[in-house]
Amino acid sequence: MKPEALWSLAALAAGLIFLSPVLYTIWMSFLTVDSYYAGTPVLTLDNYRAALGEFDFLRYLLNSLLVSGVVTLGGLALAVMAAFAFARFTFPGGDFLFAAVVATLMIPSHITLIPNYLTLAKVGLLDSYAGLILPAISNGFAAFFLRQYIRGIPRALDEAAYMDGARPLQVLWRVIVPLARPAILSMGLYIFITEWNNYIWPLVAISDSDLYTLQIGLAKLYRENPGEDVINWPLVMAASTITILPILIGFLAVERHLVRGITMGAVK
Amino acid sequence: MTSRLTPYLLIAPLLAFIAVFTYIPILTSANLSFREWDFLTDAKPWVGTENYRLVLSSSEFWNSVKVTAIFALISVPLRLVLAIAIASYLVREALPQRLLRGALFLPSVTSTVAIAVVFSWLFATDYGVINAALAWFGLPKVYWLQDPQLALWVIILVNTWKQLGYDIVIYIAGLQAISPDLYDAADVDGGKRFHVFRRVTVPLVMPTTYFLLVISVIEAFQVFTVVDVMTRGGPAGATDMVVNLLYRIGFTLFDIGQGSAIAVLLFILLIALAVFKARVLGRKVHYEA
Repeated sequence: MKPEALWSLAALAAGLIFLSPVLYTIWMSFLTVDSYYAGTPVLTLDNYRAALGEFDFLRYLLNSLLVSGVVTLGGLALAVMAAFAFARFTFPGGDFLFAAVVATLMIPSHITLIPNYLTLAKVGLLDSYAGLILPAISNGFAAFFLRQYIRGIPRALDEAAYMDGARPLQVLWRVIVPLARPAILSMGLYIFITEWNNYIWPLVAISDSDLYTLQIGLAKLYRENPGEDVINWPLVMAASTITILPILIGFLAVERHLVRGITMGAVK
Repeated sequence: MTSRLTPYLLIAPLLAFIAVFTYIPILTSANLSFREWDFLTDAKPWVGTENYRLVLSSSEFWNSVKVTAIFALISVPLRLVLAIAIASYLVREALPQRLLRGALFLPSVTSTVAIAVVFSWLFATDYGVINAALAWFGLPKVYWLQDPQLALWVIILVNTWKQLGYDIVIYIAGLQAISPDLYDAADVDGGKRFHVFRRVTVPLVMPTTYFLLVISVIEAFQVFTVVDVMTRGGPAGATDMVVNLLYRIGFTLFDIGQGSAIAVLLFILLIALAVFKARVLGRKVHYEA
């Protein structure tokens, strides 16, 4: 074997050991609870059946997908429009308003917890999808990042489009968005992951179990101990796997994307 | 064609959301911190600095400050030392390095709740893997999450395991910005590997270290989820972080005044850190290769 291949194997082994808690979790989620405690593995899909059915994780999964999806699309739309304005227009108050957007990066979110709860209570949006989504939509970091990226796109392209009689929104949609696609995709991923893993806000804003996201559902399932006198760990691990899996699959897809980018660069 | 209103219309939606859900809440928190209120009554009488006096004289508050400070003081240096050491081995763009980087980075994008659940199982007193391993060596079982002396260490371990990959990725980006010539020069000088690491690598990534140091301290003071799932601040307050206390006072005791006072105090501390970061990163510590 070449030393390179040996090192790759060693690195793979080290990585697997590091990730062993997650890998063992996935393995455990396929064991019957009796066989787990007896120490003689018997494989089953029952934990997933129970988690998705009886314990409502299918619903929580759909809730998480809906909330994270809408927050991502809405957050990107707001951020792209603002980034375009800040990158391409000079207007009175522009610098000040941009600073106000960037300053939100420094503002810790816990200070907004009680007031946002009160705001949503006042308009009757606690225990609703809107209550989960609205406070999470504005994303100062995405606006900042996209503005920097758009500034790198040659202005001549906008000007050519304006010459052809395009309006600003058309320039944004037809010229800027296609050229900024890599930056928009990576920001979309960042927003989606952040919102998917969000815990404290749904914990505060939701008490109706029909609206639980995966994070809340998993924390409750773990705490309320569905076992008789011992914890039903295989069931809890199936629920954990359901919570992790969408991000895991996304991560592997992006990693492959990166690897392809690197190898294509090497071929050229 | 463009009108003078165009840029304002483009930024209006974002600014509206930021105003309603970020800036106005800061003012609301400040206002509520001077009032007495429990959600139930309509009246919110002004009580001056009473809430601050109560918070600053409560042992619960100072306990949470102490616990959070210990957590930050141990977990941040631990993460940075491990990250820079590992990053200096993983900086090359070859397959083994990329595989290990991917594995180390993965936990930082996965659900904190799920990670906390998994580690609760690892450290469970009965049927937990760690105690099973100890039993195999004939050692007695340890009450990891029930022992006030140990629980915070478990929380630190979980946080380090989860966040390490992020620090490594940031360090790798910092290291890749260093010119390879410097390493070659150090090699020509016959530098030993550790010597090169200490004399070349560490000083040159100082800006990255400062950046990570400050954002990890800010992040450490906002830790909530791991503790909420694993220990709820227990046993006997041994893992009670400031945000966990804030959540408990605001949303289980419904003492909005004192909850807001804690939020404002923590806000002032974190903004001070953020301003310090902007100052330090703005001026000092820029080595140009």
